Amino acid sequence: MKRIIPVAALALLGAVALSGCSSDAVKSDTAAKSSYEKTLAEAKAERKKAAAVGGEWRDIGKFLKAADKAAAKGDYDTAMKLAKKALFQAKMGQIQAKEQAGVGNPAYLLN
Amino acid sequence: MKKSILAVATLCVLGTSVAMAKNQMATDTTPAEDLKIYRAYFMKKFPGVPLQEFANGVNAVSEVNRENWEAIEEFPPYEPMIDEGEVIWNTPFKNGKTFASCFNNNPAQRKNYPYWDKSKKAVVTLEQAVNACLTKNGEKPMKYKKGKITRLLAYMGYQSRGQKTNVVVPNDPDALKAYYDGKTFFFARRGQLNFSCAQCHVESAGQRVRSNVLSPALGHTTGWPVYRSKWGDLGTLHRRFGGCNKQVRAKPFKAQGKEYRNLEYFLTHMSNGIEYNGPSTRQ
Repeated sequence: MKRIIPVAALALLGAVALSGCSSDAVKSDTAAKSSYEKTLAEAKAERKKAAAVGGEWRDIGKFLKAADKAAAKGDYDTAMKLAKKALFQAKMGQIQAKEQAGVGNPAYLLN
Repeated sequence: MKKSILAVATLCVLGTSVAMAKNQMATDTTPAEDLKIYRAYFMKKFPGVPLQEFANGVNAVSEVNRENWEAIEEFPPYEPMIDEGEVIWNTPFKNGKTFASCFNNNPAQRKNYPYWDKSKKAVVTLEQAVNACLTKNGEKPMKYKKGKITRLLAYMGYQSRGQKTNVVVPNDPDALKAYYDGKTFFFARRGQLNFSCAQCHVESAGQRVRSNVLSPALGHTTGWPVYRSKWGDLGTLHRRFGGCNKQVRAKPFKAQGKEYRNLEYFLTHMSNGIEYNGPSTRQ
């Protein structure tokens, strides 16, 4: 009997700890999902802006599709990395297009 | 003494500023001035290459490429495709008419395109004219990058061989805008690799990218449609534009969209005076 009590206590403690962990995991999953979705929405909006100025880069669409797939599997780390890549490229494409607007003959043609 | 030193220094500074030209904006030079600038640049870069030779693309500036190309041209892979195009040209639509009804009974139309259409306020290409003919006669339009349209264009191109490129940019603000937009497209860096069309086909023309020699932009528009070894088939100019954009990791634009039509307008104008020699083969 004396042996049974500590074992039961340990089991109880374990169960409590596990349920705590799983609730933490759910919380962190929800946070990762929400953070990913926010970045994804931003990336999609910036991609539209890049396309509007003729500056969309080739792989943004691929990154977004791959991000969607990773998110569907619950791999929000990968999904987030891809969405951030897409976001970065969409912003860079806009900067590039704005800098290059109206360019003409380069100096090497004229020297 | 001080005065003479100052005078020499001033002359040096002035001299440097005259010799070192700066990057320009597209509208800084007129189409006619551009033509002179590009012609002079390529003639200086490839001395001894006659103007008409540029119609042969990379084969005009690379001996190895030329040998391979001449060997391929002995039995050109596009030859049966010209015959297929002739059949398409002569096959009546459902209403009994043929393509001849849209092109004054003459398939040799290359020299008339691209042109500025004042009423549409847009550049019109031969591919568009082909599809306009189809839709006008109740037929389904063709796809713009490969397939049936390349056969018809091969036949029309073959019939047009020897015609001279003569793109006119009228003194109309809309036409000039289309020309300048095409020019900016050509010189603007794009994509993740941050490359412009001109960096490869003007600045680095004749140099290698891995095992490929970069072709000069002069004459780029004369030999279409092109049978590329990489494609194993004929393709249109806009298909190639899209491929180039992808190579620099930019998202390609739609074939026959405004961007590529304006680019074609600018690029074809650059080749004014050079004879059409399509269809042709390229690496």
